[in-house]
Amino acid sequence: MNAGDVTAILPLAATWGLAFLVILVDVIVPGRDRLASGIATLGALVVMGITAAVATQVPQQAFGGAYVLDQLTVLLDLLFLSIAVLTLLYAPDYLRPRRLPLAEFSATLLFAISGAMLVSAARDLLVLFLGLELLVLPGYLLAGFAKRDGLSTEGAIKYFLLGSFSSAVFLFGLAYVWGVTGTTNVSGVSSALQAVAAGHPLSPGLAMGLAFLMSGVAFKVAAVPFHYWTPDAYQGSPTPVTGYLSVGPKVAAFALILRLFVGALAPVKADWVAAVVILAALTMTLGNLVALTQTNVKRMLAYSSIAHTGYILVGLAAYAGAAPGSEAEARGLQGILIYAVAYTFMNLGAFAVVAALQRRPGVTSDLQTFAGLGRRAPLAGLLMTLFLISLTGIPPTAGFFAKAYVILAAIQAGGIVAWLAVLAVLNAAAAAFYYLRVVVYMYMREAPEAAPPVARGFELQAGLAIAAVATIVIGLFPNSLIAIAEAAAKALL
Amino acid sequence: MLPLVSLTIFTPLVGALLIAFVPRDRPQLTRWVAFATTLVTLGWSLVMLAGFSTSASGFQFTEDVPWIPFFGIRYQVGVDGISLILIVLTTLLTAISVLASFRPIQDRVKEYMITFLVLEIGMVGVFAALDLFLFYVFWEVVLVPMYLIIGIWGGANRIYATIKFMLYTLVGSLLMLVGILATAFEYHASTGVWSFAYQDLAGFHFSPALQVFAFVTFFLAFAIKVPMFPFHTWLPDAHVEAPTAGSVILAGVLLKLGGYGFIRYSLPLYPDAAHTFAPAIIALSVIAIIYGAVVAVVQPDFKKLVAYSSVSHMGFVTLGIFVFQSQAMQGAVFQMVNHGLITGALFLCVGVIYERTHDRRFANLGGLAGRLPLYATTLGFFMLASAGLPGLSGFVGEFLVLIGTFAVAPLVAGIAAIVMVLGATYLFYMFQQVVFVDLSDFLKGLGDHLHDMAPIEIATLVPLAALVLLLGLFPAPVLDMIQGPVSGVLDHVSHGVALGFLP
Repeated sequence: MNAGDVTAILPLAATWGLAFLVILVDVIVPGRDRLASGIATLGALVVMGITAAVATQVPQQAFGGAYVLDQLTVLLDLLFLSIAVLTLLYAPDYLRPRRLPLAEFSATLLFAISGAMLVSAARDLLVLFLGLELLVLPGYLLAGFAKRDGLSTEGAIKYFLLGSFSSAVFLFGLAYVWGVTGTTNVSGVSSALQAVAAGHPLSPGLAMGLAFLMSGVAFKVAAVPFHYWTPDAYQGSPTPVTGYLSVGPKVAAFALILRLFVGALAPVKADWVAAVVILAALTMTLGNLVALTQTNVKRMLAYSSIAHTGYILVGLAAYAGAAPGSEAEARGLQGILIYAVAYTFMNLGAFAVVAALQRRPGVTSDLQTFAGLGRRAPLAGLLMTLFLISLTGIPPTAGFFAKAYVILAAIQAGGIVAWLAVLAVLNAAAAAFYYLRVVVYMYMREAPEAAPPVARGFELQAGLAIAAVATIVIGLFPNSLIAIAEAAAKALL
Repeated sequence: MLPLVSLTIFTPLVGALLIAFVPRDRPQLTRWVAFATTLVTLGWSLVMLAGFSTSASGFQFTEDVPWIPFFGIRYQVGVDGISLILIVLTTLLTAISVLASFRPIQDRVKEYMITFLVLEIGMVGVFAALDLFLFYVFWEVVLVPMYLIIGIWGGANRIYATIKFMLYTLVGSLLMLVGILATAFEYHASTGVWSFAYQDLAGFHFSPALQVFAFVTFFLAFAIKVPMFPFHTWLPDAHVEAPTAGSVILAGVLLKLGGYGFIRYSLPLYPDAAHTFAPAIIALSVIAIIYGAVVAVVQPDFKKLVAYSSVSHMGFVTLGIFVFQSQAMQGAVFQMVNHGLITGALFLCVGVIYERTHDRRFANLGGLAGRLPLYATTLGFFMLASAGLPGLSGFVGEFLVLIGTFAVAPLVAGIAAIVMVLGATYLFYMFQQVVFVDLSDFLKGLGDHLHDMAPIEIATLVPLAALVLLLGLFPAPVLDMIQGPVSGVLDHVSHGVALGFLP
């Protein structure tokens, strides 16, 4: 390990260090929850600063090319750390009234984030798998964090069982790919497949491997029909955890897709594009259709997050469907990244409002809880409206711009993928119905007597402000985000 | 020089921000700030009108700033005669609507006024945008405020109506987004440059396949907004449930967005597809003219009758646009302005009576001539204007559309002309039911509540009446403004040829 290696792994190492520091603080001064979570939040901000600082010295490699710090890693790391910061800001107002330990939560979350960061930097199949497991194991803990709550435990167990199963399927697929190509190095796999792809049909082994990898990844991003664990895990988890689960592991799984499918399996992309197109179409449509019938906002957001997975998959389909080296290929990848960023802020924002409403233990996330919010807490109502409008995809918000971007990529890719664009907007129209139903409750129904109070802690307000500003700024001035996404996509191609 | 267009677009935003800081317990101050804002906005648009040159071709008062350079998306705004006249209509009707909301809206005044001002941003923006992407952004900005206005301040069945309104218009506009992106992509594919600018895209010869696809998506968005038969079913619900001012804006401005979209984008960008689909659209327009009138005849509800009459009147607009004839298209634009003034005024009249009775059924109305003479006179004036009495503005628009259509398709013009009799039927019936016959027991029971128009109500209706009379007698200034742009659009269309169906 040399000096260059140190710079390359600095963001990741700093995150690990921070997680251990939080544990240490909790051990030395037990019971000082606020201190621990404050350290975690500020620390994550510092790590973001470090990441931005090393961003000027990319690309760098470490550990013989198994780990790489390039523009993509930087973008994704910053995104993961933002997720951590926002989740840490939203958590206290929800966890403290329920007497759930904030310090443990912060440390667990940071470990999960470090796993996601490892995925975003991995250039080796085994490191990818390692990062993936480091990401999901703390995720199971977080899902079952309210351990005396039956729903939380049930959701965590479902999440754990299907999660481990899908990890096994994924590992199985990796083994096949290793068997066919004889290497676990991403660029090695890519060049080995280049030879395979030259005109021959896929060997049975590689076909099996692709199928297993695709299924494993589909589980992780919660694509239909591999989504069954999502609603229960999401509804049962404590709300800030649900917010995290709906973005963190999902974006990380897309990072995995970028590193694995785009990085290593690109030469045979003609063989997996059809699967992505079908997955995208199914995921968008089913996610939205089922979300239409939900009366619990958390569950509704869970299904809608499935639908958003579908929109991101449209970006992947655009990449896979485009001719190698074409502009549409890069556009699709940029679409994935831009959508992931926009989705992170708007979805976390929406979950933060839900969490704020559930300040008092026992308050459900039923639609009824939102009745009259526009009058009870005008600002919370306004922000929720903003996030829902963005999730629907109405300008001038981040959600609109992201959707327009993937649609443009799909049109550019042409062929069958272009029709995904039409399907995507029809889905967006259907989604408007259930998103705006929340607005109906907030503004067009009166609050019940003795409506529970809405949390307005400082951290929560700061977090909501960040999410709201990001949602608007990305919608109105997306130029710098496009530039960053272009650089990141270029690093990958 | 002042950026007049941007000032017109964004003055309401300033007003909305100001209102956000007005204390909640000062509703009267909120109302006046909102009204002052709309007056200033109206002022800006009138300054533009005064400085507008009818002889110059192209767009005036243009502003052009890069917005998203990666895709050549620009903040590009400007006006020609058509858009300017519609912007003035918008700012005028918004000011009147805000004034008309002073009394009826007592609940959540602050939110209401902010929503209304945001709505104005979107409406003016749609007419002023010269970049397709920017146009789409403003187009969607209109949606949410209207959704809230109907849903929060509307009548009993408001939630159903507002969701229906939202879903209809959203399906149309989202598909249009795909059409817009596909158009820009094809432009990029053939020139290597990204551009959404109207001036680049208009007259560019897009491939037949793209023209058909994009035209259809644009058509859906615009036809739902107009609304054309059979996409009109959201309209009666939305109108009946919307508060008075919401109806005025809905009928007066939002429906015009569709007609404007056809003229500004559908025809110049996709002339071949326009020629291909024109016969079908003309047929739909004639159906809308007949159907709207026939259904209006049997309505038991004052407001619903006016709503269906909109379907009929807007049929003339789409008819005038798609016969591709200069007089007819001028008539269509003129008719849009008329319809905004007259139907806006009719909805205000409905609102006046609803304020007093909380009922709009003809069965419970009647005999107002004796009790409310001023109201009866006003209603009579606008009723006659709507029926197309020569000397009032309603006549000019429909007459121009009819002679223009007659030159191209005499049969269609004949049918449309006959249907105007039906228009007279339902309007006279309406007038009779409301103003003549005996005073109903229901109205007798209201006692002193049933008083004649208040000064503020007179103030909302007088400017509209004056304009209806003025445009009816002297349509030339407006026609001069729209003549140039209309011939520009027809010039683009004349290069189009109907495509073999389907390409």
